[in-house]
Amino acid sequence: MPVRFKKLIVVGLLVVLPLCGVWQIGLGSYIHAKAILAQFLLETAWSETLKGHKEVKPWPWADTWPVCRLTVPRLGISRIVLAGASGSSLAFGPGHLFGSATSGEYGNTVIAGHRDTHFKFLQELKTGDAIQLQTSNGGNIRYRISEIRVIHETETHYLARTDANILTLITCYPFNAISAGGPMRYIVIATPEITNGKMI
Amino acid sequence: MNLQKPGTIILSTLHCIITGFVTGTLVSCMLVLLVMILSEPAGATAMDDMTAADMNRIEDPSHVRQGTLLFKGEQDFSRAPILKTDVQINITGMIARATVKQHFRNPDTTWKEGVYVFPLPEDAAVDHLRMYIGQRVIEGRVQERQQARKEYEQAKSEGKKASLVEQERPNIFTTSVANIGPHEEIIIEIEYQHIVQYDSGTFRLRFPMVVAPRYIPGQPVTPVEINVTKFEGNGWAVNTDQVRDAARITPPVPHPDKGKINPVTMQVNLDAGFSLQHITSSYHNIGIKQENETGYKLTLENNTSADRDFELIWKPEPGAEPRAAFFNEQKNGEHYGLIMMLPPEQNKGEILSREVIYVIDTSGSMSGTSIVQAKAALELALAELKPGDRFNIIQFNSFTEQLFQFPQPFTHHSLRQAKNYVRALRAQGGTEMAPALQAALHQTSESSGVRQVIFLTDGSIGNEDELFRIIKQQLGNSRLFTVGIGSAPNSHFMNRAADFGRGTYTYIGKVEEVQEKMQILFNKLQHPVLTDIQLTWGDNLTVEAWPQKIPDLYLGEPLLLTAKASSLPETLHITGTVSGKTWNSSMKLSGGKEQTGISVLWARKKIAALMDQLNSRTEQDEIRQMIIDTALAHHLVSKFTSLVAIDVTPARVKEELLKSQSMPVNLPTGWEYEKVFGQLPQTATGSELFLIRGMLLLVTGLLFAVFSRKFTRCYACQV
Repeated sequence: MPVRFKKLIVVGLLVVLPLCGVWQIGLGSYIHAKAILAQFLLETAWSETLKGHKEVKPWPWADTWPVCRLTVPRLGISRIVLAGASGSSLAFGPGHLFGSATSGEYGNTVIAGHRDTHFKFLQELKTGDAIQLQTSNGGNIRYRISEIRVIHETETHYLARTDANILTLITCYPFNAISAGGPMRYIVIATPEITNGKMI
Repeated sequence: MNLQKPGTIILSTLHCIITGFVTGTLVSCMLVLLVMILSEPAGATAMDDMTAADMNRIEDPSHVRQGTLLFKGEQDFSRAPILKTDVQINITGMIARATVKQHFRNPDTTWKEGVYVFPLPEDAAVDHLRMYIGQRVIEGRVQERQQARKEYEQAKSEGKKASLVEQERPNIFTTSVANIGPHEEIIIEIEYQHIVQYDSGTFRLRFPMVVAPRYIPGQPVTPVEINVTKFEGNGWAVNTDQVRDAARITPPVPHPDKGKINPVTMQVNLDAGFSLQHITSSYHNIGIKQENETGYKLTLENNTSADRDFELIWKPEPGAEPRAAFFNEQKNGEHYGLIMMLPPEQNKGEILSREVIYVIDTSGSMSGTSIVQAKAALELALAELKPGDRFNIIQFNSFTEQLFQFPQPFTHHSLRQAKNYVRALRAQGGTEMAPALQAALHQTSESSGVRQVIFLTDGSIGNEDELFRIIKQQLGNSRLFTVGIGSAPNSHFMNRAADFGRGTYTYIGKVEEVQEKMQILFNKLQHPVLTDIQLTWGDNLTVEAWPQKIPDLYLGEPLLLTAKASSLPETLHITGTVSGKTWNSSMKLSGGKEQTGISVLWARKKIAALMDQLNSRTEQDEIRQMIIDTALAHHLVSKFTSLVAIDVTPARVKEELLKSQSMPVNLPTGWEYEKVFGQLPQTATGSELFLIRGMLLLVTGLLFAVFSRKFTRCYACQV
């Protein structure tokens, strides 16, 4: 009896452990798969938006819609930014913070993204790098990174309105932390390039 | 040892890893599809029978996207003076007189100025200020606001101890205390008086304890000029074009994780004047001691922090409910009277079909327990609809959105849509109330029948006057019923909005109250209203009565007015209209109870009425002067008059610096800090953790497989 019992446990563990492993890997890859796949679906919604449609939902049940496109020419990065920075929209793309200035509007435009998916590239950005925002009316705004710093999550004044026109990108820090939910944030602040008194 | 073994192990390991990855990828791909299909937002399931086009977001470019994140920089209040409040309230009949003692203790070795923003009942007539410095008492004097501020600033710079009490809103006041020495305590004593509320057979006293964070709409304005007499405030918000004094009404709020601050003790001496059926404190534990037949001594439990309104309710024995009361006071050759009369109860009116617009506040301040209360109240209200009625639901936060484009007839289908809509409501974002109010009042109605707007909110906004203006201008034939939600609603807003909206207000402070409080409101909605109330004082008498226009009276609401005359008449005749018929009554004014302080109540009512006119009339300077005159004559704090107390001898030498600090206040109970003040978003997923965990599990499984094989073999050999 004890032998059979032991065997049962051994066999049980032999089955359960790899299964759990597969399940966990599945969950992990699912997050990445969703993040990548969603950006493809968003491309269509974004081109619709550029044609003049408003709040184009990328899929029928979505509670968010694309608001602008963020590109970093040096790194060949292109991301469709969604409305709102709630957990549900950040899973599909970087989110534009509800209440901050919209892209192209006067003030502080704040965009947040996950440090392990869409905003992973933030760690490669350097002061002076160019960032472009394509707005929903097709216009392009070019920004130059003026400041990069690590802050605590309670320092909400980085979200505050500003008199000047700036772009603030936020992601979690450190980039290689294993678990989510840490208190530190990595922020990139960029100011628009001005030529002849006009934003370009 | 068999040499083949390691090879097989490696092979099986590889096999395992490959299958692991293949299955992992396959499973993940399937999951992607599955979850993409299932991961509908909470709202979507509820709106199953509605297309996106049905939902109506009201776009008003001048109102959207404003105000949510109007922060000033961080504030350090670790060294701010520490506050403790002692409250004593004496209630005689319908009048409450309260003494509020604010202890400002300086925990530091430097000199301090403490600025404390606090609430009082919206009808509080503040008429006394005393500053206690050790054994000495300095009595405060009422001055015009600018003058008081100037004297205070002067004393402050000269190193003298000084204190100043200013009114920001009818229910928000500021105490400033200058030159609190190192480790010193200064006590500021404020006295006020007001009328207790009597409605539906129940008496109610509210003592608000905390100014809840207010949403400040509008665009920031930069101060044009700064001088000593113009104190800009040091709250967390910046002044905007819509809330010019935002910085003065937004005291800093530390995160609740840092613990509760501002302890309160309270004692209430209640002499109702009749025997009571019961006394209850709605939200706090109290000790009750009966002193005599009609007198009670009530004590608030220890360890109470100023983080929610205190409410005391007392109910007369059945049959002992007062139907009329008259209090009088003679002062400076004038007679002052406070008159209360309860019109006889009317029978339920015939049920007319009505149009009901429900408006629910779903801003961040409603997050937590408030939204639960609001939803429960709204669901009950929906259940009151009858066939023939038409209705709509409007929700607002940073945006306004309505369920139907136009009010819809009540059907099972529309009710189901409404219930689903309510269930899916979530509280987040700003409080742009104006577009919602406009939408609720503006919607064209097909019938000219009864139109009711039921407005559920905590009123946590700073632009009250703008909203009152909208109500006054656009009310039409609608009636506005405000339902105040949460632990610290803006009572000034609730009250005045209902006044201007010719409706009533209801407070709900906890989920358990929803049923009872809403039922009182439904009763009022079902009974005929007494309107066009006129008073006849008799010939040859000049009586100055406030309010000048008596509000419509709903079921259970008494007529309440204050009057001043060289002599008051024997009887007062009252007429009104109820269900289209004329209603007549008269009341004897002789032999009323003498009581001091009636003149103060009269003056407070007059100021309130004048303040209303200030927003709508053109001759503003004249009205402003009338307010100042009334306030000065009755020693009252108003928007334009303040109390100031100044010590004669300087305490601080010029070389020592004075640091001004705004005193932090609690976040009201049940509120969620992050939903109000924001937080940087969570920007990491658990993907890496999942991957690592998965790999570890696989590796452990493999190792286990290897060792267990060895182990079982050896074990078998032994046996």
